[in-house]
Amino acid sequence: MFFEQLVNGLTLGSIYALFALGYTMVYGILLMINFAHSEIFMVGAYIGFLVLFSILAFPPQFLPIYFLLCFILSMLGAGLLAVIVERIAYKPLRKASRLTPLISAIGVSIFLQNLIMLTVGAQSKTYPDKLPITQFHFFDVQISSLQIFIFGLSILLMIILNIFVSRTKLGKAMRAVAENHTVSQLMGINVNTIISLVFLIGGGLGGIAGVLNGLYYGSIKYNMGFLLGIKAFTAAVLGGIGNIKGAMVGGFILGIAEALAAGYISSESKDIIAFVILILVLLFRPAGIFGEEVTEKI
Amino acid sequence: MFKNLLAALGILTSLVGCGQIPEGEKVIKVALVCPLTGDIAAMGQGMKRGAEMAVEEANASGRLGGIKLELAAFDDRGDPKEAVSVANQIISDTKIAGVIGHLNSGCSIPASQIYAKRNLLMMTPASTNPKLTLQGLKNVFRVCTTDDVQGSFGANYCIDNLKITTVAVIHDKTAYGQGLAEEFKKQFESRHGKILSFDGINIGDKDFRALLTRIKNEKPSLLYFGGMYSECGLITKQAKELGLTVPVISGDGIYSLEYIKIGGKSTEGDYASMIGLPQDKLPKAKEFMDEFKAKYPETDMQPYDPYTYEATCILIEAIEKTNKEPALKIVDYVSKIKYSGILGETAFDEKGDTLNKTISIYQIKNGKFVYCE
Repeated sequence: MFFEQLVNGLTLGSIYALFALGYTMVYGILLMINFAHSEIFMVGAYIGFLVLFSILAFPPQFLPIYFLLCFILSMLGAGLLAVIVERIAYKPLRKASRLTPLISAIGVSIFLQNLIMLTVGAQSKTYPDKLPITQFHFFDVQISSLQIFIFGLSILLMIILNIFVSRTKLGKAMRAVAENHTVSQLMGINVNTIISLVFLIGGGLGGIAGVLNGLYYGSIKYNMGFLLGIKAFTAAVLGGIGNIKGAMVGGFILGIAEALAAGYISSESKDIIAFVILILVLLFRPAGIFGEEVTEKI
Repeated sequence: MFKNLLAALGILTSLVGCGQIPEGEKVIKVALVCPLTGDIAAMGQGMKRGAEMAVEEANASGRLGGIKLELAAFDDRGDPKEAVSVANQIISDTKIAGVIGHLNSGCSIPASQIYAKRNLLMMTPASTNPKLTLQGLKNVFRVCTTDDVQGSFGANYCIDNLKITTVAVIHDKTAYGQGLAEEFKKQFESRHGKILSFDGINIGDKDFRALLTRIKNEKPSLLYFGGMYSECGLITKQAKELGLTVPVISGDGIYSLEYIKIGGKSTEGDYASMIGLPQDKLPKAKEFMDEFKAKYPETDMQPYDPYTYEATCILIEAIEKTNKEPALKIVDYVSKIKYSGILGETAFDEKGDTLNKTISIYQIKNGKFVYCE
């Protein structure tokens, strides 16, 4: 049973980790908590739903292409939405006190939630289950192909992100902006473009997390981002907010802790356990698990 | 300027409003309270359809004399806090003659105490927790059977018909879900069945895999769930994905096609107990079914549409009678009523519960609820 719970936890953790990256990247570069990120995640899930729903009529032999299309479109859609939100709601407030963009973010979050509720509807939508799912058995442990897919895709995306941030010129520019806006501007970096890029990537990853969440649980709703957003934010803080590796590790730790708590103690206590871990980590390491590497902070 | 315009507009619309009602016609409102948005909005919207049909029929029949009935629908979102604030809003409106609702027992219980302040009739078509009518409130009635009857019926069905003795129970910690699960447990254990585990989940949670993995290792022959279709659909789906392929049995909270939509093929073979007899076994219900299909051709009927229709009809009859005899109070009239409608004969005991306590059980076959017993 331990390994089965581990599989449950890793799958859940992958979604948390992808989701948490958006919080942590934005915090790294702007020192603000982007509360609207949970709605970017939700919109990503809805775009995926729309794409999958509209391709149901087409012949099924090109299924992998449809799914690829679904991921690309929801990643782009969610990423662009994040960029637009930044331009409209955060950029004009960049010189204001730190609390102001935070309030603005909460406003955007409420606005987007209600927009989807009023346009798409308050009822949950069922994701089309067109993905052929096979179950694998390793000794006593049962793993579904979807769980492997979710885990694999998130690991792949995180590796690509890591290479991008640490090896490319744009990544270097991102790290520079995270350290100091003014100095990077003096070095010829267009700070606004880099900030937009961070929102695009963070939002895109959030959108993919939304689609994966929809595929895994089969139903989506306008307020699905709220609770998951709090969990993903917790994961980001757990790992050390502002640190990319921290968000990944934090996501997995949180997912596994929840699965083990629900499996061994009781399903009612899983949230308590998750947040007790958070409090303990913050008590002994206030900056989170990976918090001290200041130089690596976007 | 803008304010003046608004005020002028307000006066204008109220003038127009007056113009539509012939002189001497009295407006009486029937309040309907249920979740019109949120997780279980599908059931609430269905209740609204039922109430609308009853009100429109009564207005069209002309049997109300000089009264024009209006349906005032309120949204409690299935949230007890919201239910209380809506209830306060309702008692401040003196045109409201009675309340039909709420859906969730967790909402009905606190709201009923507020209606009691004005001795305003509250008739619930759907709240099944026994505690609602044990509060000693004279204004509370329900046209559906209670969880103690439904829970023990489910337990007896498992033992007598399914020959099952080991069950894992999950509930959603609400007055309805936990109440139903506890009644099931009590009866099941008293008949020497074995409850392997008894777990609560949070409403709105999506991931039950960790819990279900643990339950799978307990090797139950059946899962009993107390709660609503939105969680149960995910539970049955995830259970079957994990290889826990036993049927799920639950109460009226999952008796909705939405359950099959959420759970997909995994719901095949699951059971749901439902209050009352199936509509096609009741002579008067046929008329209602036909009318419903004519009026809402695109819509699936939800479980409480007929119950809400019936409750609204009872209230309308009370309004009609008390209007002719002003000395008679609506609450007193309903407490002695003998109403023959689409659910069969409805009369209330001294607590306000219906005496019509039939329970049916359905199994899902080929994506449809099929009547078993």
